[in-house]
Amino acid sequence: MTIMKKGLILAGVDGSNLSDAVLDYAIWLSKKSLAPLKILHTIEHSHHSEQVRHEGNLTPNMREQLLDELSDEERLESKKLIAEGKQILNDAKEKAEAAGITDIIAKQRHGSLPGALIDLQSRLAMVVIGSKGRDHEGQLDGLGAQIEEAIRVINKPIFIAKSTFKEPKKVMFAYNGSPSSHKALNLLSSMPLFKQGLEVHVVSVKNNLTEAQNLIEDAQTVLNDAGIDIIGKAMTGEAVDVLTHYQTMHNIDITVMGAFSHGKFHGFFFGSFTTQMLLESHTQFLLVR
Amino acid sequence: MLLSAKQDWLGNVRNDILAGIVVALALVPEAIAFSIIAGVDPKVGLYASFAIAVIIAIVGGRAGMISAATAATALLMVTLVKDHGLQYLLVATIFAGVLQIVAGYLNLHKFMSFISKSVMTGFLNALAILIFMAQLPELTNVSWHVYALTTAGLGIIYLFPYVPKIGTLLPSPLVNIVVLTLIVYLFGIDVRTIGDMGDLPDTLPIFLWPDVPFNFETLAIVFPYSVSIAIVGLLESLMTANVIDELTDTESDKKRECKGQGIANIGSGLIGGMAGCAMIGQSIINVKSGGRGRLSTMVAGVVLLILVVFLNDILSNVPMAALVAVMIMVSVGTFNWNSIRELKTNPASASSVMVATVIVVVWTHNLAFGVFTGILIGSLFMAQRLSQFLLVETDYDEANDTRTYQVIGQVFFNSSDKFVGFFDFKEAVDKVVIDVHRAHFWDITGVAALDKVVIKLRREGADVSIIGLNEASETLLDKFAVHDKPEEVEKMMGDH
Repeated sequence: MTIMKKGLILAGVDGSNLSDAVLDYAIWLSKKSLAPLKILHTIEHSHHSEQVRHEGNLTPNMREQLLDELSDEERLESKKLIAEGKQILNDAKEKAEAAGITDIIAKQRHGSLPGALIDLQSRLAMVVIGSKGRDHEGQLDGLGAQIEEAIRVINKPIFIAKSTFKEPKKVMFAYNGSPSSHKALNLLSSMPLFKQGLEVHVVSVKNNLTEAQNLIEDAQTVLNDAGIDIIGKAMTGEAVDVLTHYQTMHNIDITVMGAFSHGKFHGFFFGSFTTQMLLESHTQFLLVR
Repeated sequence: MLLSAKQDWLGNVRNDILAGIVVALALVPEAIAFSIIAGVDPKVGLYASFAIAVIIAIVGGRAGMISAATAATALLMVTLVKDHGLQYLLVATIFAGVLQIVAGYLNLHKFMSFISKSVMTGFLNALAILIFMAQLPELTNVSWHVYALTTAGLGIIYLFPYVPKIGTLLPSPLVNIVVLTLIVYLFGIDVRTIGDMGDLPDTLPIFLWPDVPFNFETLAIVFPYSVSIAIVGLLESLMTANVIDELTDTESDKKRECKGQGIANIGSGLIGGMAGCAMIGQSIINVKSGGRGRLSTMVAGVVLLILVVFLNDILSNVPMAALVAVMIMVSVGTFNWNSIRELKTNPASASSVMVATVIVVVWTHNLAFGVFTGILIGSLFMAQRLSQFLLVETDYDEANDTRTYQVIGQVFFNSSDKFVGFFDFKEAVDKVVIDVHRAHFWDITGVAALDKVVIKLRREGADVSIIGLNEASETLLDKFAVHDKPEEVEKMMGDH
């Protein structure tokens, strides 16, 4: 019945400010859904060689020599990054254990986070990451460079932590009838999490109020069947504005929605609804593609 | 992908620009030298190097790899230029590009897996020898000045980097060129200079359709050259891509590289340049100089053009000795010196593949022939080895007058005679059972050998039955594949 029991809840930690929030939400999700927790640290190699020489000449056996030099240099850096990551992972593991989770895997992988997600996704039920990582920590707003790619590469629900952990009480499901929002609806109805005292708001924003109301009724039927009571609200207007306003008015903690229904190039030229929502909201997100 | 494209171009800007300049400075003498090898004006190689570097920076599959006019492709053009002239070379270049694009779409890069380490070493050693041999005309029947200058040039190239501070700032091949040019100019030494070798570029390149009759005859003339150029160009490019992959611990898109090489050659041919490919030596220099991104290749091409167009007066006064010194450096740096020591320690089969590759290349001046020879000899050695994995155990059941042969191992063209040899046709028995369930028949030669055995035994009056033929002949199909069935591999390597 649930997809949650099969797979792991993966928390992507990197020691940034949001890393703690990511872990807290992952612990919360793991406890609520009784799924094992996997804490992942990725070692990103953005190595720039220090040993740059401009002699421009080609000496005998230079290839072998250069290979030795470069691999020695990177080995040292990798070791350092691994050690740092181990520390982050150990702290995270202790925290999760203290929170009462018994089934914990803590792992490190080389490469980017999206790459790691692709490799691991068959074993995952849900991914929890921060809206920005270490590289973008200083920025007040904005999203991490890898977040869109991370969302696009995996076909598992992805939870985006945007701020420090606060026990979630209210969930807003933005339903527009698109294929990905359908998937989000299915996820909502199948996850035990949403039957455990969370207040579920279903909001539909369309140009035409009847259309929006119809969508709410559809969602209501599905969710009621699954044993989830909802507060439905049909509205018209500019979706991003209306939805973010609703979030603030009702103190929403988590926004659930379908993500990136359009291709990359559509987003590149017309701007993406998902990106805009992520930028302008203050809630956490649960995205389904 | 947009993200990785940005990283490829702008991930390493400062180092890429500096490395690109270093490479451009080294590319100028090489492009001139390779034009001389091909028998065309220096400007043909220089325009080619500009076009190929700039185009491959955009469409290539390996960021940070340097492509330009090369020795490997220049060597293939010599007779075409001599017999038919430059215009036919341009057509051959464009057509080679078309073939490379087709090769890219046909996924021919996958055949690179047939190139063993020994073949690759042989390729590089042969390339080094050919580059060195191409310098000999500049070193024979010349005054002592040339030897003195060349020696001084080599001294500067190898020793200048040891000079404190400036040693690692200025590329030593450039220092060699500047110093030797000044010496020749100041002392008025009468030696051959680049200006004596033909036209240098005096304008930016312009788009030019080759001036040849577009008919079947033209195609027939250029076709064999284009095929050779396309193959050798892809071989060196893909090998170089592997080297850069290894050095930088990153991956490249080989299919894109094949198509990119094709586009680059077409572009080169259309602005009056000769065919080229990736350059192993320059690519290593680029990595050593900190170049990793596409920007480094682009900068190399653009700076090269600026240098030659605006400095062509100075360039024409550079003595050939300075160029020869650079090319000897390239030759020495391309040769795999460890491979000489390894001749003794490596298995004789590996060494003979390497040596055969070198000999065929030096003999034919065509690297493709050497590579094919190397692959062929290597494959024969492999077939020879695999045919040792064949054993037939026999058993005689007196009560039923039955002889049982149990065949274990690989039956294919090279082991089929051995297979037949295991059977005793002179033995008079009632029944013969051939149990092949632990054998694999890899080709129709193997199956024919089994047929032969059965017919021979029947002639001698035995009733023959075969056990397990279905399993044993699964491997006969061309589409036989175990890669997605790990249990099949285990079965094959184990007991079935």
